[in-house]
Amino acid sequence: MLHVEIQAEPLLQIGPLTFTNSMVGALLTTVLLLLAAWFFLRRASLVPGRVQSLVEFPIEWTAQIVKENGGTHWRAFAPLVVTIFIFVLLANWIGLLPGVGTIGYHEMVNGEEVLVPFVRPASADLNFTLGLALVSFFAFIGLGVRKGGVMTYLKHTFIAEPAYMTPLMTPIHIISELSRLISLSFRLFGNVFAGEVLLATMLFLTTAVVFVLPLAFFVPAVFLSLELVFGFVQALVFAFLTMAYIVLALPEHDEHEEHADGADPHVEPGADVERPPTHSTTDAVPGAA
Amino acid sequence: MDLTPLAAGLAMGLGAIGPGIGVGIAVNGAMNALGRNPDASGAIFVPYILGIALAEAIGIYSLVVALLIIFVK
Repeated sequence: MLHVEIQAEPLLQIGPLTFTNSMVGALLTTVLLLLAAWFFLRRASLVPGRVQSLVEFPIEWTAQIVKENGGTHWRAFAPLVVTIFIFVLLANWIGLLPGVGTIGYHEMVNGEEVLVPFVRPASADLNFTLGLALVSFFAFIGLGVRKGGVMTYLKHTFIAEPAYMTPLMTPIHIISELSRLISLSFRLFGNVFAGEVLLATMLFLTTAVVFVLPLAFFVPAVFLSLELVFGFVQALVFAFLTMAYIVLALPEHDEHEEHADGADPHVEPGADVERPPTHSTTDAVPGAA
Repeated sequence: MDLTPLAAGLAMGLGAIGPGIGVGIAVNGAMNALGRNPDASGAIFVPYILGIALAEAIGIYSLVVALLIIFVK
């Protein structure tokens, strides 16, 4: 029978410390990143070769987006955003490797024999995502305070624009700041955990019929590739939301970005105005091709 | 009769309607903008991802409620 465990299972108990299998996943992610950094930095050159540009690509791509959206202080938090992106991306994708979540030992729980895997993807554990969300939370508060000063930050956050609205708006502001913590952590956890359950369900459903219907073997593969995309998107969302919260907390955000979660109002009207009918057909061809 | 699974299923299923519509509207807007001005893909990308994430957060809240219903006794 299919067994789903929402919390990470403990593997070792050393004194008061419990070592769970999601910590193995987090450790594996960190070690892989450190090894990759050591291996590629050792032979890094100023003119990147083929492998080096492949490794540098995700870093440069994320940093470019932070530069375009981060305002004047983008250098202060670009390393954090890029690191969160790469770390979460790898933590998500480790769960898709064969053997992760399937190799383990059997244990009797409530008279039922269940498999306790040795490795669980780190982001399928709420402790890990909540920790990352706390890092992001303190990053945007800390940067807001450091760039603008404590009083400016408090005024910016807690005093509403017409001052008489403050008693009404301040509780809403506090709740919305705290709900970022919840939505950041639960979004990543929910997506990765649901992805793991989805893959397990698909494997569970198809292994029964795979001997009769060999084509069923490809059904989990479809979901596996879907999870590849979702892991990427969730890493992107976590990193960019961290960036957007930091930009909103910075003192000068009013000139750069009115509201990070709304669509850019400058794009569509401008595109509508400067587009005569003849120009649009020639313009549409390279986009369609 | 234990209605817990039904409650969790309803919480998740009903809670997914709103975010589904919201994400659909966001994708619709982004695709329209992209069709009119393919060069603006860079400018659209980040607000689009953030908008989808914020719409999806509501669905995540219902996922949390569903998980609480199932696992917290």
